[in-house]
Order: sequence, then structure tokens, then C-alpha cells
Amino acid sequence: MALVEIPIGPQHPALHEPVMLKVRADGEDVIGVEVNTGYNHRGVEKLLEKNSWVRGMYIAGRVCGICNAVHTQTYVQGVENLMGVEPPPRANYIRTIVMELERIHSHMLISAVMAEVIGFTTLFMLIMRDREKAMYLKELVTGNRVHADIHVFGGVKRDLDEVRRSRVLDELRRVEERLKYYRRVFETDYTIVRRLSEVGRIKKSDALKLSVVGPTLRGSGVRSDVRFEDPYAAYPEIPFSVIYRDEGDSWARMMVRLDEALESVNMIRYALERLPQGPAVPKAIPRTARPGEVFSRVEAPRGELFYHIVSAGGTNPYRVKIRTPSFLNVLNTESTYLGHRLADVPVILASYDPCISCMERVLVVDERSGRRVYMSLKELAQVGFG
Amino acid sequence: MRLSLLGEVLKNITRRASTIKYPVARELTVAPGSRGRHYADLTKCTGCSLCAIDCPANAIAMEKLPQPLKHNPRGVFPVVDYGKCVFCYQCVFVCPVKAYVTTEVFEMADYSTDVSRDSSLSTLQSGESP
Repeated sequence: MALVEIPIGPQHPALHEPVMLKVRADGEDVIGVEVNTGYNHRGVEKLLEKNSWVRGMYIAGRVCGICNAVHTQTYVQGVENLMGVEPPPRANYIRTIVMELERIHSHMLISAVMAEVIGFTTLFMLIMRDREKAMYLKELVTGNRVHADIHVFGGVKRDLDEVRRSRVLDELRRVEERLKYYRRVFETDYTIVRRLSEVGRIKKSDALKLSVVGPTLRGSGVRSDVRFEDPYAAYPEIPFSVIYRDEGDSWARMMVRLDEALESVNMIRYALERLPQGPAVPKAIPRTARPGEVFSRVEAPRGELFYHIVSAGGTNPYRVKIRTPSFLNVLNTESTYLGHRLADVPVILASYDPCISCMERVLVVDERSGRRVYMSLKELAQVGFG
Repeated sequence: MRLSLLGEVLKNITRRASTIKYPVARELTVAPGSRGRHYADLTKCTGCSLCAIDCPANAIAMEKLPQPLKHNPRGVFPVVDYGKCVFCYQCVFVCPVKAYVTTEVFEMADYSTDVSRDSSLSTLQSGESP
């Protein structure tokens, strides 16, 4: 399929980044969807080759704004393998705490975006207001509310002192309380359930065939999570359950995310209460790696994130290949739009968590008259309720 | 069970507005220890250039010290360009003598280029030169 060849490089369609969806419609029924990506090629893979291992930590983190800590984790754990260094347990716990905080705010963001897409602007505002609490916790632990930049080869850059540890524990209660409320809203609100149920359904067999990952896969009843299957950082020591649902529709995917966010709260609490003693910040960092190659994978909020790092020895990587979860979730799911109404297209798209605002516009082609209209996603969502 | 958002909305009517009227009302605060404006303390800096080598944004330039202020054998000091800086604090972490002074200052929008030169040089004037 030629479409898959269009995007070159680490494309993460985050918010306000360009991806285009060509929807073919017969009246209001969707009969064909073509996803065009590749507008946002930044050459990050080449940039990683041109810079040292150390600089690469920060370049990898900037592939995506929302899941920067998981990108850094994937890169750092791969390079650590090549360098032959092992982070101390305390550093692993701190890394895990940061990554789980990131998962919470990422899932809250897509819940808010979904609420906006289906016309619940007030709910969007409420979730975004409360998401700030999770971002504040991340700032408290790492020093920045967006970019964590806490990873370093062989540990973390900043230790978690007692004052901040207890403060995070304290504030976490409020985040949990709000998450529980939003979960209840998504589970019980009549309009939300009607708008999301049976929309964009992916059967379990199809989900495996389409290679979707993350909450999209788990929403179709597949119990797959890298944190569970191939544990990294402190995940082998932290108990958690893999959330999955059998429904396979947009509603199931949203519920998986909200349940996962609540599970993350428990995981952070467990990690903070059992934070191992000892050093977390390395005194010096290695700068050269042995020749070889390494595959590194991590469960990002949107699914499995994958790095292939090749080293020829020396201070720079030879090649770094990045595969982001949205790449699979957006490109492989074109068939799931078929048979639905036009107004369901944004809902299905948002349920894959591709960061919906990256779709700057949608081209609607009426098959009968051949009329082509460019519409914004908001306009499209208001076309009609199917 | 049908849950209405109305209760939540009504509850919020009596609450203080969440919107911060920045910069009219300066209520914006950052978490303690937030990564803000940083500069090198020249009484500690040895001019080793490690921060400039590691900076992923190429925001640090090693400049020659003014003659009477020469405080290290190399005679150079790091100048951070805040317009380029991504505030990853790799320079702060990598500095072998912990020369960087960190602050929580984040309000750096300016019409002119903002660099750390004056802040760094002021540390020599107030402190003692070795």
C-alpha cells in the first residue's frame, strides 16, 4: 500500500500538527477514508545521528510534547544497554513516577478533546482545568510541567526529596478524585454513551490484524501492554492490572484510558510509598557506546513506542529508527470509518488519540455530485448526529 | 443511571474563576524547583566548556572574559542565549564545579536578545576573584 510509504521519519501527529483525512461520502455515509500524513517531517532521526548520545536524550524527548518522558526512556534504556550502565533502583522508581504522571495527563487531554468533539465544551474546560493539577505534579517532580528532561544515562538528573514526595502524595488524592468523577461521567452520561457506543468498532481479530497498539488494542479485548509483557524501569516491582475491555468501540477505548489513568494513580502512590533508598543521580555519565544494535520498547500513553538504535561505537549513534504508536493507530484504521455517518468521523479519529487538532481540515467529497468541500473538524462534528 | 453535568456546572458558578488574567494579575506561580533562567557563577566556573559541548540547542557560547576580570586560566565563560535555550538543564547537571546558579524566573519574553552575560559578570564584581 503506497500510503504507508508517504511519511518518512519519526512522525508524531501531536496537537496542531498537520495530517489530512480524505473522507468519501455518499450523502452522510462514509464510504472511503484516506489518511494523508507526512506534512510534519522534521528529520529527527537524522538529527539524532548528527548529535552525540548525550544530546540525543533531549532530541528524543522533543519528538513529542505530550509523551516526552517515554520517548527519552525508550532512547535512554536502549543506549544504556549499549553503554553497559544500569540505573539504580531509586532512579528507576523516579522515572516510572514521571512516566505515569505523563500517562495521567495524556489520557485526561484526550478525554477533554473527545468531550469537545462531541459538543461537551464545558466538560472539556473542566477536564483541562483539572489536568493542570497532574501537570503541576510533573513540574514538582521534574522541574517542568511539559518537558520532564529528568533521564540521564545511569540514573536521573534530580532526586525526589521528602518534602516534594509527600506533596505529590497529597496532591495525587485530588487528581484521583477528579478522575473518578470523569470516569463516572463517561460511563453513565446518556449522551456520551450514545455518541460513542458502537462507533468505530474494531473486533478483536481485526485489532490484531491491523496491528493497532495501546488503548486502541486493549479496547478491543486484547490484553497487551509492554509494561506487563516486557517490563522495564520499575514496572517489574510495581503491581498493576492491565485494563482491557471487550466492546471494541470508541466508548471502550475512552473507558480503557480513564481506567488506566486511575490505575496510574495507584502505581504512583505505590512507587512513592516504597521509594528505595540510595543514590539516584549519577556522578558522571558515560559518553561512548559499544558497537552493536538494540531494540527498545516502552508503553507510551498511546501504545507501544519502539526505538531501534544502531551504534558503530564512538560518541554518536549510527542510526536511530523511531516508530510511534499513533503511526499504527491512525494509518491502519482507515477501514473502521466505513459505514458510519460523517459526524462520527471525528469521534472515531479522537478515539485513537492521534491528538485530533493535528487534522487541520477534512476534505469531504460527495460521490454523487462530485462536490468537494473543506471543513474543519468542528464543523464536521456538527453536521448531524448519526 | 443518568448523570447530569449540571450539578458540577452549578457548583462552579460560585467558585473563583480558574482563568488567570496574566499579565494584568500576576498570580501565575511555578512549582518550587522549576527550571527557569540560569547563569554561570564565574567565581566557580573554570571555563571547561563542557556545558557548551553538551547543550542540545547550541544555546551556550564560550566568550572571552574582559581583560581585568580574567578569573580562570582559559579566560572564557559560558553565555546562555535564552532565546535558544530549551531549559533542559544539562549544563547545570554536567558542570563539574556546580557553577550554574538556577532560578525559577520564567518571564523572559523580550524584544531584544536575552543572554546571561551580565548576570554572569555580576557574580565576579560582587564575589571575589581567585
